[in-house]
Amino acid sequence: MSKELVSSFVHLLVDDIMDPLSVQHIEKGKNQLLMVVFLSFSTILLAIYALGQGSSSNLDMWTTASIVFGIENPSELQYDIIWKLRFPRILMAIIGGVALATAGALMQGCLANPLVSPLTLGVASGAALGAAIAIVLGITIVNIPNLGIVVNAFLFSLIVVYIIIQLGNFRSISAESYILVGIAITFITGAIVSTMQYFATDAQLSQLTHWSFGSLSRPELIDVLWIGVVVVGLMPQALRWSWDLNALTLGGDDFAISTGVNPAVIRRNILVLSALMTSVVIAFTGLIGFVGLAAPHMARQIVGNDFRKLIPCSAVFGSFLMLFADTLGRTLFAPIVIPVGIMLSVIGGPFFMYLLLKDSRVSQ
Amino acid sequence: MNQLLDASGVSFSWGENDVLKELNLQIKENELVSILGVNGAGKSTLLKCLNRILKPKSGEIRVFSENIHDLNLIELSKFMSYVPQSVRSSFSMDVFDVILLGRRPHINWSISNEDRDKVSNTIRFLNLEDFAFRRFNQLSGGERQRVIIAKAIAQDPNLFLLDEPTSDLDLKNQIEIMKRLRELVSNPESPKSALIAIHDINIAARFSDRILLLHEGEIVASGKPREVLTQENIAMVFGVTSTIEFREYDSYIRVMIEDEIKEEIEV
Repeated sequence: MSKELVSSFVHLLVDDIMDPLSVQHIEKGKNQLLMVVFLSFSTILLAIYALGQGSSSNLDMWTTASIVFGIENPSELQYDIIWKLRFPRILMAIIGGVALATAGALMQGCLANPLVSPLTLGVASGAALGAAIAIVLGITIVNIPNLGIVVNAFLFSLIVVYIIIQLGNFRSISAESYILVGIAITFITGAIVSTMQYFATDAQLSQLTHWSFGSLSRPELIDVLWIGVVVVGLMPQALRWSWDLNALTLGGDDFAISTGVNPAVIRRNILVLSALMTSVVIAFTGLIGFVGLAAPHMARQIVGNDFRKLIPCSAVFGSFLMLFADTLGRTLFAPIVIPVGIMLSVIGGPFFMYLLLKDSRVSQ
Repeated sequence: MNQLLDASGVSFSWGENDVLKELNLQIKENELVSILGVNGAGKSTLLKCLNRILKPKSGEIRVFSENIHDLNLIELSKFMSYVPQSVRSSFSMDVFDVILLGRRPHINWSISNEDRDKVSNTIRFLNLEDFAFRRFNQLSGGERQRVIIAKAIAQDPNLFLLDEPTSDLDLKNQIEIMKRLRELVSNPESPKSALIAIHDINIAARFSDRILLLHEGEIVASGKPREVLTQENIAMVFGVTSTIEFREYDSYIRVMIEDEIKEEIEV
């Protein structure tokens, strides 16, 4: 039914003399868009459900939706739980999912490597090191508590990006080398952070441990809103590079140049933007790695590798994944809350493996 | 005919190894030029220098009197499109979207119906309809090569730079692709030219207006196929003996390579 609707809508828009192949291309795009809209709608429904669920005072979905949309007046307790306690966390899940998934898609695209993500490339570990230096040693460029951590996280993720860009200047560098360097960086930064943990005070240790888990509970609403402003502000630029990413992923640098893309400049800009998107989130949440790797691959199952569609679809998948994992983590063993980073790996890992194996079976 | 490309004194080296030596090359509008030479002669390097993929050590390259290094890459890619020897990727797109990439220098972000129709026309022009909506990495090597050529055509450039465009194709498709390129280049209403690095001497002889023989980074012969494809030149460049068959009434030329290689004969 939905296909017919889309078809009729397409024919209203499309000129009669248009080539049937062009019409087929438009229809395929519309179908993919419909699936992304469906996924977005599912994410909104999940968000409403998640607002009503927790370790205490569970509300059914209809009541939650009525409160959220102002149809029903909540009690003071309900208001506090939904808007003050759960809303920042759920908004953080959505924005964090968008940022990390988009960063993952951008990194995979500009390095033409499906194994790349903010975590596997060491960018997230670099950001974690920067934050750890701010927390334990108190060394920051900006002397404002939370902003200092974010700036440190960003600067250290940029150092990792710089190393990656320098690595790319060697023409013979293979796609795998980026991952190996990412692993090396992760080990080095991990060792430094561990050393700092060894000498840290209890309070600092608690803050650092928070990093390694990856949790959505810490950011205040004002933090989340700021993160949202940054992420939403960066998204149009990420989308602007879609064509360049298409050329880079399909045929590498030579092919991209002949299509009008300057690979060195584009790669540098994309990696810096990805580092900013990653660090602005994980500076507040701690290490959350799985979304950046898996969400783009899941999105590819629906929209293919055209970055004009892949970036928004990855962002929606990222939000959905984050929200789903966090809601499960909050409700599964309530009142114990399992951090989202752990939940994502537990539920996402096997699903991701299934997707990859399904793909390889088709190839065979 | 107007001059489209003018390369003068182009040199390129990988470290100490000089690949191109003070090379001069001019291409006119509506001209199909083939470059012949052994592996490592510098054919691919020349194409990459012309397209700014590689930067020459010295020399100047101009398209329609504009120095290519004064143009930005978008402007340059409207002038010329490059087809590499092969394209492999860990990611995949629909064939239609791959060809649509050819429209990238002409558009900002959104695709117009006109751009889509240009892609559709290119698909029909190269008979790719059967796999227009299949994934690129599910195609055979030859099919992929045809799709990349289609992308170059959809780019609508003045000059095609093609690096062994028929190497993965079967006999029928080799002829088909060369015929299509010939058709594009021969259209006087659209001043397009092609520079093709190729190994098949007979295909080059049949479809080219001009042949360049590249030997150790230098053009040792340039001219019409009949003038360039002589036994002496072929022996000098490829180190093989050959028999040349020429048909006067339709200028058909055929080169038959003999079994013996030149060094063995000399011994």
